[in-house]
Amino acid sequence: MTGKPAANPDPNVRIFFVDTRFQQMARRPGGVPKELAIQQAESQIETFKEEFVDWVEQEIQDISAAFKAISNSSDIVPQLGDIDRRCRQLRDTGTTMGLELITFVADNFCKVLDTLKDGAPYDADVISCHVDALLLAKQKNYRNLRPDQVIEMTNGLQKILDRAKKSTEPAIG
Amino acid sequence: MKNGTVNLRDLTILIADAGSYTRRIVYGMLRGFGANRILEVGDAGGVLAALTHQKVDILICDAKLPPHDGLAVTYAIRRNSDNENRTLPILMMTSDAQQGTVKKARDVGVSMVVAKPMSPTTLYDRLAWVAYDRRQFIDCPTYFGPDRRFKIEGYPTGVGRRASDKSIEISEMSEPNLDQDDIDSLFMAARAGQSE
Repeated sequence: MTGKPAANPDPNVRIFFVDTRFQQMARRPGGVPKELAIQQAESQIETFKEEFVDWVEQEIQDISAAFKAISNSSDIVPQLGDIDRRCRQLRDTGTTMGLELITFVADNFCKVLDTLKDGAPYDADVISCHVDALLLAKQKNYRNLRPDQVIEMTNGLQKILDRAKKSTEPAIG
Repeated sequence: MKNGTVNLRDLTILIADAGSYTRRIVYGMLRGFGANRILEVGDAGGVLAALTHQKVDILICDAKLPPHDGLAVTYAIRRNSDNENRTLPILMMTSDAQQGTVKKARDVGVSMVVAKPMSPTTLYDRLAWVAYDRRQFIDCPTYFGPDRRFKIEGYPTGVGRRASDKSIEISEMSEPNLDQDDIDSLFMAARAGQSE
């Protein structure tokens, strides 16, 4: 659905209006009003919340297993790749499903893994701290907490991340 | 732009994300919004195959979609002049909503960026924004996509601006403008370092 080109002085540039099928159809009357749509979306999410918690548990167990496998392996890249992929999923979904602390720890962990990609040396203790933090965050009495309710943990992880970031900076002098 | 209700019934929506749970969440949200035709794929190959085999109305794509990324997929869709999906609305989901990432997304022709993890409200607002967006498309040797020169003054659903924000409309003048002599005398005073 391409409209008339608008006036434009540059012959190499074409400027035009597009009213896509999505736009035309989405503006039709009879849509679900925002408040009801949000309510219905939250209900949909609620239906698989319990299953989601089981999935989070499994993902964190798999991350822990991948980390343990690193010590027995000469090539750590596949294990770190696996941890990275799982962490990203946890980060992207945790908060939406009401597990803010999981998202926080997973996000910090992803950033630490990014520093490895940027050239930081591999430090098993740094990874271990994050795996432990995830194992703790998935526990029943922690999983519904917000990051600001476990300041010591979040500050500690932040400091580890800052140190990892620093190790990617070129030395001065 | 005041109403902002979106009607997703009978629209084909393609969700592209490597994370099965992210897809599931987005799917659940869209169902809640009234969508009834939702497709899911986990990689860039799936996007291109879906676009080839059926009419897709909007793509909701992760910025890190494997194997390259969602930005490369967007670029491929926009730059191919034979592609009938060139003007397809593309909503890019990203866990890294830093300015650099948003700028890259804008420069490949993404319609709108949404930060992950996202809430139903955020997704609904972005969809409404795309639906009511009256931006022009630009086609030039270095870019094809929605006009990058735009500013969000709030979402059609009313979110994005505080209730106390003043309207951007400029009111009628209540008094006459200064005449040139008044302006000159003001500047003369300023140049002379006088406060009055």
